[in-house]
Amino acid sequence: MRQIQAYATLALLFVVLVIVAFPFYWMVLSSVTPREALFQPPYKFVRLDFSLGNYRELLFATEFVRYFVNSLIAAVGAIVLNVVAATLAGYGLTRFAFAGKKPFAFGTLFSYMFPPMLMAIPLYILFSALRMRNTYTGLVLAHMAISLPLNIWLMWQYFQIVPQSLEEAAWVSGASRLRALRQVCLPSARPGILSVAIFSFALSWNDFTFAFILQTDRTMFTLPVGLASFVEQTGVHWGMVMAAAVLVSVPTFLLVFFLQRYLLSGLRATG
Amino acid sequence: MAFSVRLERLDKRFGRGARAVHAVRELSLEIGEREFFTFVGPSGCGKTTTLRMIAGLETPTAGRIWFGDTDVTALPPQRRDIAMVFQDVALFPYMTVRDNVAYPLRIAGLSRAQVDDKVERVAATLGLADKLGQKPGQLSGGQQQRVAIGRAIIKEPKVLLMDEPLSALDARLRVDMRTEILRLHREISATIVYVTHDQIEAMTMSTRVAVMDGGRALQVDAPRTLFRRPADQTVATFIGTPAMNVLPASLVTTPSGPAVELLGQRLAVGPRHHAAVQGLKQVEVGVRPQAVRLVAPASDRVRGRVFLREPLGLEDEVLVETESGTRVKVVTAAGEEFPEGAAVGLELAPRDLYLFHPDSKTTVCAGLD
Repeated sequence: MRQIQAYATLALLFVVLVIVAFPFYWMVLSSVTPREALFQPPYKFVRLDFSLGNYRELLFATEFVRYFVNSLIAAVGAIVLNVVAATLAGYGLTRFAFAGKKPFAFGTLFSYMFPPMLMAIPLYILFSALRMRNTYTGLVLAHMAISLPLNIWLMWQYFQIVPQSLEEAAWVSGASRLRALRQVCLPSARPGILSVAIFSFALSWNDFTFAFILQTDRTMFTLPVGLASFVEQTGVHWGMVMAAAVLVSVPTFLLVFFLQRYLLSGLRATG
Repeated sequence: MAFSVRLERLDKRFGRGARAVHAVRELSLEIGEREFFTFVGPSGCGKTTTLRMIAGLETPTAGRIWFGDTDVTALPPQRRDIAMVFQDVALFPYMTVRDNVAYPLRIAGLSRAQVDDKVERVAATLGLADKLGQKPGQLSGGQQQRVAIGRAIIKEPKVLLMDEPLSALDARLRVDMRTEILRLHREISATIVYVTHDQIEAMTMSTRVAVMDGGRALQVDAPRTLFRRPADQTVATFIGTPAMNVLPASLVTTPSGPAVELLGQRLAVGPRHHAAVQGLKQVEVGVRPQAVRLVAPASDRVRGRVFLREPLGLEDEVLVETESGTRVKVVTAAGEEFPEGAAVGLELAPRDLYLFHPDSKTTVCAGLD
């Protein structure tokens, strides 16, 4: 009986795996399928006539590398700024009493529930006035604006479970406030910091709306916008789009693969 | 050299307006050099707040704190030359035992060799020599507390503060650690300020004890004095286990002088207390359970029935219900005499009775003789 149950669980997991993984498999398969064979029946689930032609064309005949670098800069910028700002804000919210703390906390959550699309036009006008359209700074700030509220809330929760007495023990040992924060508080909050980093990366890496609205200059396109532009041109080259999609997934995959332990503990702590 | 610690009209309020809490009220006392001084009292009495103000972790609303001749009121904890052991141990979970203990020395900027040397010595003193490579999470509660103590004493502080360090340990371990802390007090040259809600800890370890309640020190004295000459009823009932019986009584005048009428028995007040009881009609009488003897019932004694008998080992705790319905707790030798339900007489020794003022609850006289 127990065995049957175990097999049933396995079977169910397998079905879920197939449903989740098949699109990825199809994406990878299509990206290495020769151009002429892609829409040529019979469609095969397994094929041996691999071709890297799509990748060659993508890397050398398009602006893909440029988009990739742009996306990377935006993502790294968003990660760094989010981690610094959310950590300090979360620390401040748990360790200092100040007027307006509650409204600030509620405001943070409220602004996260705000649909980003509603901010698009105001941000466009604002950044135009500041001459920050088509700049990395502008894009990073926009990405920060959408992910920071949740990140602050996340770090706030995290610092609440780091006991105040840890820091006090460091203080009476002679450590300054900053040193105690760095050596005692931050190591305990590391899973939270990594969650913030991953979340910031994911939002920035996948963002289409803000990159599309703010970056009108082709050389400033990020990956999602650049990929979309492949589709808009007459005659969609699906093999190349699939190859691009594969390359876009690689950083996300690596990040989650190496940090999944922290990601899970982060979800548990705030769940 | 250790410091004396002097608190001068120390006052602390938390919050404002209607929800303000007056945690410590104008507390003044002096703790001598190398003394083992304990603040004891129920939770919310202000003892921990007082300790945290001495540490510099809370800022007093008013008043001053002196270490020797130095006013440290405005100094942050980093600059007070103190160490502290916390109630929740507060070891750094990501560091090994060695790094935890060495932390204050690393901050002080000692060389690697000096740090290692001192850590080994402290670890040996505390029986942690083979635990240095482990993380706090791998240790038992008692070992963790030892590491915390090691981290506190390693920089040889002038004042060592301990905030209920034993409250998280089980009863057996607590007794062992008590001995160990006492041994440390003899070995290190620091003034120790200790906070606990456990009066037994306070009584067994301290040179002097401050009994706190409602943000005030009700009495500051040596343990024996607290037991023998409590300043008021709160102190009297707080110190000693089981708690002192408090019974209503009246004062009457007899041809030979004033006397207390307690449970239908008349007890003469000794001449040295005549002035103190003058003018009082009602009093409350305190009797320690150890100061009552169970005897055969007789007409000239307080009579009652054994209501409950709890064996504690060498002694039994007996609850006696007197004829007037008052219940009196008695500690007596373990045995079969006077089982539950038996009729019994109570013998009260006048010199073991305390009289408290009915309104102010202060001690009118300690001992009736």
